[in-house]
Amino acid sequence: MLRWLSFVVPGESDVHVEKNIFLGSAVKIELSCRLADKHSHMKILQVTWKKGNETIKHINKTEISWGIQLTVSENRKLGSYTCTVTGEKEFSVVFHLQVPQIAGREKPVVSYKGDSAILICESRSYTPIAWTWYMTNGSEQIAINDSLMLDKYVIDKADANVTHLKILKLTEEDGGTYWCEAAFELGKSKGKLKLKILSLMVPLKPFLAIVAEVVILITLIFVFELYSKKKEKRAEDEKEFDQIEQLKSEESNGVESNSARHRKV
Amino acid sequence: MPPHSDAGPVAGPPDGGWGWVVVFGAFISIGFAYAFPKGIAIFYKEIQDFFGTSYSEIAWVSSIMLATTYGAGPISSILVNRYGSRPVVILGGLLCGIGMVSAAFCTSIVQLYICVGFITGLGLALNLQPSVIIIGRYFLKRRPIANGLAMAGSPVMLCTLAPLNQFLFDNYGWRGSFLILGAILLHCCVAGALFRPISADKVSVKTQSIEEGKEVLKEEVTKDAIEMNSPTNIHMETKTEEEEERDCCEKVNKYLDFSLFKHRGFLIYLIGNVLMFLGFFAPIVFLAPYAKHIGIDEYSAAFLLSILAIVDMVARPTTGIIANSKWVRPRIQYFFSFSIAFNGTCHLLCPLASGYTGLVIYSVFFGLAFGMVCAMLFETLMDLVGASRFTSAVGLVTIAECCTILLGPPIGGTLIDTFGDYKYMFIKCGAVMVLAGTFLFIMNYYNYRMLAKEEKKRKAKEEDTKPQMAQMKFKPVLLSGQGITSTLLMLALAVKSHQIF
Repeated sequence: MLRWLSFVVPGESDVHVEKNIFLGSAVKIELSCRLADKHSHMKILQVTWKKGNETIKHINKTEISWGIQLTVSENRKLGSYTCTVTGEKEFSVVFHLQVPQIAGREKPVVSYKGDSAILICESRSYTPIAWTWYMTNGSEQIAINDSLMLDKYVIDKADANVTHLKILKLTEEDGGTYWCEAAFELGKSKGKLKLKILSLMVPLKPFLAIVAEVVILITLIFVFELYSKKKEKRAEDEKEFDQIEQLKSEESNGVESNSARHRKV
Repeated sequence: MPPHSDAGPVAGPPDGGWGWVVVFGAFISIGFAYAFPKGIAIFYKEIQDFFGTSYSEIAWVSSIMLATTYGAGPISSILVNRYGSRPVVILGGLLCGIGMVSAAFCTSIVQLYICVGFITGLGLALNLQPSVIIIGRYFLKRRPIANGLAMAGSPVMLCTLAPLNQFLFDNYGWRGSFLILGAILLHCCVAGALFRPISADKVSVKTQSIEEGKEVLKEEVTKDAIEMNSPTNIHMETKTEEEEERDCCEKVNKYLDFSLFKHRGFLIYLIGNVLMFLGFFAPIVFLAPYAKHIGIDEYSAAFLLSILAIVDMVARPTTGIIANSKWVRPRIQYFFSFSIAFNGTCHLLCPLASGYTGLVIYSVFFGLAFGMVCAMLFETLMDLVGASRFTSAVGLVTIAECCTILLGPPIGGTLIDTFGDYKYMFIKCGAVMVLAGTFLFIMNYYNYRMLAKEEKKRKAKEEDTKPQMAQMKFKPVLLSGQGITSTLLMLALAVKSHQIF
């Protein structure tokens, strides 16, 4: 299906302006470049539209804007189109026509031996025609055929915009780089994902270290508590003993002084 | 501090010493209880992809965890009433650890609901309540500071857990992270080990026995001074104190103190707080999405939450210190109502904030208000019902708050979906909180007045019984006076006789 798309980019002098245009399917497209307002009275000597070395005939849309019309129906038509305006100063605008980019995952997906892993690629804004998964074996990229190895790979095609690759019964060799390739009308685009396989021992070591630390801390706390309780009890017993002694001595002093007086009398 | 109508025989809590170590333990315990459910949200996307579920199914994990943490409050209270804080917190830590370790080996989302949601949630509930309770046992004069410091654990733990969880996830995937988080949660057991039991009864009995000993000895010395009334008076005093103690013990051993529902202060607190929680958590949940909605990029939106957490961290202990000052402490309920209303006003003004700078200012004030409310959340309840009944009170309050806490964010979400605009959610939250603050302010004014009246009545009663006591007290004084005069006479006679001699 052909649609019209129109892009206008004001050009600034001495500044190289670039614009990325992603085309999911075949379109009729019009690209034009226009002088920025502050340069609108600049005298124009020459305007050229080029793709690589090939010059394309353009149309003068207005006094200060020039455009080209393209029918992008095959991969060959994609590329970089440059508009160069030469006058007192020269400025240029570049349009990069390309297939939509697939974002992979920068950080590796971590999974464990014997477990399963799911790798996901999606292309929300542009719907691809088909998805293919590749795994890297050395330097080669091998396509994954899920119908051949049903108990190892499952490719989910429920939604056209998203693809899931489920890898079951993981082993060490399953780790590495995977590619999801989306096929569009105008070409193919790849996204990169990394899979890391760990054995259960890997998280077990920090786990046991932390558990050991907790046990040591709790033991220390209880030992300290027993020790300080013993100290407290000893101190209290001494205090009570002193107090009772004090009271007893007070009493005996009083009795003595009375009896002394009696005796004196 | 305003008198509460049922001050039990709580003899001087330490207000320091080992109490500060207990505050540190409570800091860790409370920190995990509040921050952990928010911290594991990082893993949800991966788990969602792994099990192939929708976002709402994953969100149930958080909801179940939160519901269990608040809903198991009464269970916590019963256990603390029976066994004390320490064993309950250690049990809670073990449950958390077991829950997360078993979650690492889950093979379905339902198993995750049970392991992460239910078991870990229960463990966190057994951490939260006892930590707050034991602060009430260790502190009285400096309790607001202790509460503020302990509650500061929540934002500090959140700021620590968020990058830690990200690091664990990048290196070990979600299964390995759950395993290691299980070990990390065992630190709640360490916090529990620090909660040395302190019982007010033991302290008063000990001082009593020494006093009794002194009394007995004094009786022997001033034999002629002893009237019939005084020993029975002393014996009566010790007897009534013992009886009171037994009554108190019975109350403590009773499972959950439902008579709190007749307590005026408790009811005021309950209604006000249940209303407040309807609008308390929703703005935090929707702050980052709102920022993204008005065009702010993801990292700056996340930074807003960091600003909130940092301001919160500072606000909590500061509020504790302010609440402890002699001007605020007697009127702490007003301060609490003010902070709730302030929080509500922030939300009402949020829709007026335009651009990133406006949202940053909102985050700062929100963090401040949030910290103020949280720091005093349990302090005000302790202030109203007293430390002895606080154990049951906190359990009953948390299970009542459970419903509104769970309803708050979904109602906010529905408002956003219906109107397509975030401002109605902010207005609803702000209005609810301003209403709650005003309600608490008015009702506490009424409560203070009633308490003052009751105090006057109690003092008047004491005045009536005083003359009788004074009579009884006078006699021994007079009689011991007799003893003194007799010895003086004897002394005079001795001197005279000596002179004669």
